[in-house]
Formats: sequence, C-alpha cells, structure tokens
Amino acid sequence: MSYYDVDSILTDSEKLPCTFELEVPGLGVLEGNPGENIKAGTQLDLPLWLGEMLSIGARLGTSRLVTLDIPSALSERVLNALKADPRTIDLRSLAPHFYSLSERVLELFEEEEMVDVLLNTFAKRAAEIADHAHNPKGAMGQGVDFLRGLDEMERQLFRVAHEGAKEVRVWAGEAKKRP
Amino acid sequence: MYGELGNKLVQHAKRTQSLAHLPPYQTELVRAVAREVRDLDRHVAHLLNSFSAEGFNPSADPATACALLVDHLSMRRNKRCLLAYHRVRTAKLEELCWTGVDVLEQQLPAEEGGDAPGPTSMSSAQAVGQHSSLSPEEEEYFRQYSDMLAAYKGQWTDVDLTGSLEPPRDLFIDVRVLKDAGEIQTEYGAINLTKNSQLYVRQGDVERLIAQGFLERLS
Repeated sequence: MSYYDVDSILTDSEKLPCTFELEVPGLGVLEGNPGENIKAGTQLDLPLWLGEMLSIGARLGTSRLVTLDIPSALSERVLNALKADPRTIDLRSLAPHFYSLSERVLELFEEEEMVDVLLNTFAKRAAEIADHAHNPKGAMGQGVDFLRGLDEMERQLFRVAHEGAKEVRVWAGEAKKRP
Repeated sequence: MYGELGNKLVQHAKRTQSLAHLPPYQTELVRAVAREVRDLDRHVAHLLNSFSAEGFNPSADPATACALLVDHLSMRRNKRCLLAYHRVRTAKLEELCWTGVDVLEQQLPAEEGGDAPGPTSMSSAQAVGQHSSLSPEEEEYFRQYSDMLAAYKGQWTDVDLTGSLEPPRDLFIDVRVLKDAGEIQTEYGAINLTKNSQLYVRQGDVERLIAQGFLERLS
C-alpha cells in the first residue's frame, strides 16, 4: 500500500455506488453533464479515491456529503455464489483487484460475515491455484476458465507458485536452466 | 469525469512493469493530465474568488465546500498518477542501467563510426527526427544515473559490480563482432574488433562488450 504502488492506485479507481445528500453546484461533471448541478439524492458510481473522502463527513458525524453503498462486486448475490462454490466464480470480471477492493470496502463497512466468506474463498481458491501452478495442463486444459478468472493478487500468487516449483526443479538438477 | 486520464496513465505503468523494454513515453497523456490539474486549479480559484472579502467558511456553505473537496481530491489523484507513472519508468531505467543495457545507444540505428554516443551524435539523431521512447528528461536522468553508477563502481577496480553472477563454464569463448569497436587492451595484448570477424577470447575481457551488443557469443 505504498503511495507509488500501481496496483493500489488501480484499486483506488474501482467504483463505489454513492448517493449525494445535498445539492452541489457545478458538480455535474461527475455525472457526465458538465456545468449542471448535482441534485440531492443522485446516485452515482464514484471511484474509491473520491467516494471514500467525501463520505468522511458522515463518519465524523458532521455534515454528510455522500452515503456509500457496497459495490456490486461484493453484493449479496456474489457472496451467496462464493458461499456455494468459490472456485467457479470469475473474480476478474467482478473487479480486477477483487481482494484489495474488498479490503478497502471492509475498512468502510462493518461486515463480519463478508470477512468469513472472503477468507474461505481465498483459502479454497489458493489451493486450486497451487494445484494448477504445479501441474500445468497446458493452454487447452480444463483449468483455463478458472485461471482466466483470477484477480490481480491471485495471478501474482499463481506466478510465484509456478516460478517456485520451476526453480526447485532447476536447483535439484532435474531441469536445465535456460541461459 | 476527473482522474480518468490519470487512470489511463497508471494502466500504461502497469503494462510497463511486465515488459522487458521501455514503451514510448506518453507525452500527450502526461500533458493532458497536467492540463486537467491546471483547469481544476483555475476552478478552485474561481470558486474562492467570490469569498475573498469575508473569507470562506466551510460549515456555512457545505455545497461549495464539497465542490472544492472534489476538485482538490481530483488534483491529488492526478498528482499521484503522474508520480507513479514516472517512478515506474525511472525504476525501469535504473534496472536497465544496472544490467548494462545502453538505452540511449539502442534508440539510434547503428551509426557509422561506431563511437560511443556522445552528446553530439544524440542531438544530431534527434534533429533527423529519430523517435525515442524516452522523454528528454528521462534521457538526462539515464545519462546522469549511468555516470553516477560508473563513479560508484570506480571505487573497486578489482570487482565488477555489474558483472555476471554466473560462474563461467569456460575461460575462453568464441565471439563474433557485430559492430566495429576499435582496439581493446587485454592481459594478453591488444585485440582489434572489426565487424564480422570471429575471435577466441577470454570471457572476462569481453563480458561488457557482449552486454552492450558489440559482440555475440557463439555456442
């Protein structure tokens, strides 16, 4: 989570549904019609970097500017699907940075159950990823759909697991190191 | 929507991280983001102008405060995107510097004469309209970083800090000369590197020249 971390910046740009609590002049730009005012009660998908800060007033108990909602990537429907079988969900299509987004969302909302579901999801999927990383079935194997649906963090995990297994084989002298 | 251009820039940075080479500098995008920041700043100044007499009180006018906050956050966001983009690129440049790839040299087509690219050859290449994937600032950064690295390495004459960590299998290797590099001095006397000639030389003597692309190793 460094200031310069590219992934963290991209996570910051994931959208969050927000509802404006008061009329703001000249903010129509956010809606796509510049010059207009934004009405109280307007629903908008704002990036995390904007919505998070605008909602701070609400948390401090002073004037609230916007109220936040849970993003569609973490909706009830998705959580139920994750509870049923974490391995069949295409996390990438929900959000390219699914886990880091959830992390940020959980900083804003109290959702005990979501934590458990996500932990379970990660553990189950990590085992599957390790399996694929150690026994590559080639580009045409049945794992392709699953691997395509990995989020950014899981891709990293896959890469590390795959490289690790390869390095061990090289170290043990079973495989030739490429020059 | 504010910050979208900055996002594009960061996506470029993300792609850059997984590439071996450095993709072209996004001059247009960087300029557009900077322009957005200037526009936002003008907007903020405009909003605050009407309050110049009595001073601005956020709690009295929460709507304007909100507009100001959005502007400010967008500027901060753009700043972060710009900084991250340039940092990814400089990190890449430093890495290339340590591995001994001469980015400035690569930009140029093989020039006649084969001298190291001095400032004169650089400027002449740019005058011809040679497209470089580095911004002028990045070229300057690369040159100065190379100089600094060379000065740092110069403290230890018997250790080559950027040399290969792989123990050599053979002391002597066959190499082919790809570009004229003139005469070099080795422990066993001088060897003349003329293009297309093939030589049997000590690996330690020519490692740098292989990395720089003057020689090619024959297996």
